[in-house]
Amino acid sequence: MGVLPPFRLLRPTTVSEALGWVNDDRMAYAGGTELLLAMKEGLLRPTHLVDLKGIDSLRQVRCAGREVAIGALVTHTRAADHPIVRDRLPDLGEVLNRVGNPRVRATGTLAGNLCFAEPRSDVATALVALGGEVEIASTFGCRRMAVEDFVVGPYSTALATEELVTHIFVPVRADLRFVYLKHQTTERPTLGVALAANGHVSLVVGAVGFAPQVFRWDSLSDLDPSEIAGQVEVVPDLTGSEEYKRHLVEVYLRRAMVGLDGRS
Amino acid sequence: MIGADIMEISPEINGRQAVLTVPVRMTLAEMLRDRLGLYGVKLSCEMQVCGVCTVLVGGQPVSSCTFLAVDTDGRRVLTVEGLADGGRLHPIQQAFVDRFALQCGFCTPGFIMMTKHLLERSSQPDREQIVAHFDGNLCRCTGYAPIIEAVQDAAGKLGEVGS
Amino acid sequence: MISPPRLDAVPKVTGKARYAVDFRAAGMLFSAVVRSERGHALLKSIDTSAALAEPGVVAVVTGEDLASLFPRFGHIIPDHPILATDKVRYLGEPVALVLAEDRYAAHDGAELVEVSYEDLPVVMDPEQALADGAPLLHTTDYGVGDRSFEEAHSEPRSDNVCHRVELGWGEVDSALARADHLVETSTSYPMLYGYAMEPYNALAHFEDGYLKVVTTAQHPFMVRDDLARVFSLPLSHVRVTSPYVGGGYGTKSYTKVEPLAAVGAWYTGRPVKVEFDATGAILTTRADSARVTIRSGFDSAGRLLARDVRLTLDTGAYADNGPLVLSKASNRCFGPYRNGNVRVSGVAVYTNTVPSSSYRGFGAPQVSLASELNMDQAAEALGMDPGELRRLNLIPPGERHYPGKRPMDADLVADLDLLLEGLGWDEPTEKHQGIGFGVTASDAGAFPVSTATVKILPDGSALVATGSSEMGQGSRTALSQIASRELGIPLQKVAIAQSDTHATPYERTSGASRTTTLTGLAIQRACAQLLSRLEEAATELKGGAPTEVKAAEGMVVGPWGDLSFAEVVQEWFGGRLGELSATGVVRRVGELQELPPFWEIGTSGVKVRVDPDTGQVFALRMVTVADVGHAIHPEMLKGQDVGAATQGLGAALFEELVYDGPQLINPNLVEYRVPRASDMPAEIVTIVAQRGDGVGPYGAKGGGEGTLNPMGAATAAAVARAIGRWPDRLPLSPERVWRLMRESGD
Repeated sequence: MGVLPPFRLLRPTTVSEALGWVNDDRMAYAGGTELLLAMKEGLLRPTHLVDLKGIDSLRQVRCAGREVAIGALVTHTRAADHPIVRDRLPDLGEVLNRVGNPRVRATGTLAGNLCFAEPRSDVATALVALGGEVEIASTFGCRRMAVEDFVVGPYSTALATEELVTHIFVPVRADLRFVYLKHQTTERPTLGVALAANGHVSLVVGAVGFAPQVFRWDSLSDLDPSEIAGQVEVVPDLTGSEEYKRHLVEVYLRRAMVGLDGRS
Repeated sequence: MIGADIMEISPEINGRQAVLTVPVRMTLAEMLRDRLGLYGVKLSCEMQVCGVCTVLVGGQPVSSCTFLAVDTDGRRVLTVEGLADGGRLHPIQQAFVDRFALQCGFCTPGFIMMTKHLLERSSQPDREQIVAHFDGNLCRCTGYAPIIEAVQDAAGKLGEVGS
Repeated sequence: MISPPRLDAVPKVTGKARYAVDFRAAGMLFSAVVRSERGHALLKSIDTSAALAEPGVVAVVTGEDLASLFPRFGHIIPDHPILATDKVRYLGEPVALVLAEDRYAAHDGAELVEVSYEDLPVVMDPEQALADGAPLLHTTDYGVGDRSFEEAHSEPRSDNVCHRVELGWGEVDSALARADHLVETSTSYPMLYGYAMEPYNALAHFEDGYLKVVTTAQHPFMVRDDLARVFSLPLSHVRVTSPYVGGGYGTKSYTKVEPLAAVGAWYTGRPVKVEFDATGAILTTRADSARVTIRSGFDSAGRLLARDVRLTLDTGAYADNGPLVLSKASNRCFGPYRNGNVRVSGVAVYTNTVPSSSYRGFGAPQVSLASELNMDQAAEALGMDPGELRRLNLIPPGERHYPGKRPMDADLVADLDLLLEGLGWDEPTEKHQGIGFGVTASDAGAFPVSTATVKILPDGSALVATGSSEMGQGSRTALSQIASRELGIPLQKVAIAQSDTHATPYERTSGASRTTTLTGLAIQRACAQLLSRLEEAATELKGGAPTEVKAAEGMVVGPWGDLSFAEVVQEWFGGRLGELSATGVVRRVGELQELPPFWEIGTSGVKVRVDPDTGQVFALRMVTVADVGHAIHPEMLKGQDVGAATQGLGAALFEELVYDGPQLINPNLVEYRVPRASDMPAEIVTIVAQRGDGVGPYGAKGGGEGTLNPMGAATAAAVARAIGRWPDRLPLSPERVWRLMRESGD
């Protein structure tokens, strides 16, 4: 039976208290769905977990001007069920309702999902397409960064050692047309395709490579699925060879384009 | 050294207040099985995929194999042992009996707890919703069909009680 | 018969049912296994000092510590070291057992054990293993295990062959030479993990001079035999109990982790618990992968003239049940067809992979992929309907398709007709859809030895004792039903004790679909003797001629009136005490002389849709036909059939253990994908044919595995009909199907 390796638990109640503790060996901990699993597998061995769940200021979903702010402790389920998300970010809610399984959604947080940067993830792909940003706190203050720039590679983000993600900001765009399709035949998606249009077109191809890959055009008619399929970075694995995955990219791009046309 | 490696916690487990001193590295499943003898909580894949370790914490389903015991402090934990009302089976349990929705039974507590959660969110789920809700629950014996029937059966009975 | 509620249902829905993994003992030590990190290597040294210094660690056991014992197990070839000694033969093999006061100390201690290896070249598949000059896994003569397995290989080895089978009859070469149509089919069946959800675990301790083990084993008596040999104990001094088994499917046949727990208890003098997670279970036992080539000759009318089969099984690092899987696969590869010319050449090969053993269907799924696809391809070559081709060739009831074996005890054509009707075979299918099906017959039932005891207690209730395990198949309920019916007392007054080698009578196995038929027969015989005992007792008490006194339907009726069973027992013993008992015995005599005790029929099929863009296959309808003579509990039978067919669908579409060099790359349930609720077809049709043609109670014969056997071929054929190209390997992953579609230019 798998057992967690030894560690100590720290329970800050404020962001600044937490910032005083986090470093390479003292890892931020919220839902733990990815982190505890990696620890059980022996892949991560933090000396401490800094449990953020006592920081009440990170629990909220709220409107912030033309954005929705989602606190770092908000789980996929809570975000998807939240009236503000249902009302203003229904596309995101739909994606969140299909992440992992109901227990993963009920425990895991969006922020944790981004910070873990598992390449075969839905959340990063969708948030990049929706123009999401992360708010990052450090002892020096706060900065914001596009999710697109935040996720830099497999299990790798732009987060510095002594920083924390505190919120995710997602712009509310009433005129946005959005489609997220995924090919998933195993526990994690093989491919996620997010296509967003409001004036410009953003395409994000996720799960198939090391990180979400972004393409932008002025118009949907500029998007050539076979060209993109040839360009994207593809990592072969048990769910498909490079050739097959490129083919899937093309298939799902065509489907996403049809889907987007169907959305007013 | 900063931080705790052992903590005292007081969760409410199956309606009863408990006080336990546990290592922080102890999972909820280990606490429920090793400390409290709640063996209805099973372990199999230990990767949140199979669902046999499902319990409800604060009404939400969690994989107790990868959930820290200390995170139940001050919260309500419900396991399959907490469902029956004395000697009377919960309608979900009765439906699993009536529909032959089990064989080896190892996955059964997990399915029952997930069903409890589903029917609290959606009182009359259709087949598609049920199937989607069981995306993280494996049964190797039944081929799922009788489990889906049992959920529909239980939804019907709970609906009658509620109306 | 009607289907009463399962007797194990309430414990299982309330979480009260105790499985082996739920058992604890006072003073029990937890354990962690140190596993080999090499595929094939000499063990140079194991440094346990750091582990022993870890607080809470009580002991670390290595192979060297077992020198005074018989340190291996294996019921056919005792080649399997309890802990690797001298060398390791697969990555993941247990090298040391760390014992500690709690599971955390055991885990931390295991991480501190330092093992040094000297690498040897690996052989990762049968081709490599059989090549000239291949490194040998085994070079010693292990002697022979249980002599009732004739298959044992006991000579010192000069190759990696674990076992060979050659069988056949007739003149295959000349029959093939005169055939109008020759059809050759080659297939690969994947390496599988049976995934019983309760992973392997055992609790062992020595008490009162006995070794006591609680384990999740299907066959506790065979585990007992292995354990007694390890410690040179009389069989009587080993007590193995199997409580509720959390899934078996053959994967818990034979000894697995029990010796590990037992040597831990022997070494420390304390109870020891060994429990694995699913990854540990995958690294313990898998199912054989197979390559099969079958060549069939047909005359112009479609009559089967000859079949020539070559098959190779990848047995892995140790024999376990591999030799028997090969012999079953060899028996099952030519199909239930009238055929005067058969030649089978099979080999099971040692490789540096996880040892394989039996898994539901037991060789049949592996070979039926080739043999049933071969029938479909033959039908295509002959321009015949594949159902018609089978009808023409299926062995009729009462005829032998296998010389020396029991004549066919089933109506296969009638079963096939039921199946095809259920599948809608005659109805047109839409584009990208296809239907596939198959028919198999397995020599099931295993070696027919069973004993069962039935007692009448002084209140008239009955207690059945059987060594057969409840692993979900429903034996608790079905066997109780048989006792209830035979004695004529209500099911509520029948209790049953199962699988305790000290308390329940001998049972060969709970496998090979034998329980209802053979254990059921033993119970029936016990009940008949018990009724005689009641009659004798009543006669002794009340007088009357033996012919005038009859026990039935819960009463003993004589010229003096009626006596309840309770009255007979109480009056005979002189108070509310005592009990009357009888033991029924099943041996290989009389109607069971001829093997197999019954043919287990597999008749199932599937309708699929293929996504023409991605190659993803969706099951739309699944149909099973049970040919069981008589259904003791129809609902449980249907549940078995759907479950078995679903496992077959899993192998057909999703499941495969994949090696990259010596490393298994998907030893977990995230990467090893079993069927989920969303994979199931919306339409499932379960058909039960009851013709009373079995040797078991009320004409019953076994079921519960058969519907798995044709599912691989059925799914492959359904996909072939949807895309116009024959697959030759499983699973039919989206990419494989997509590649086939590209080849066919669809």
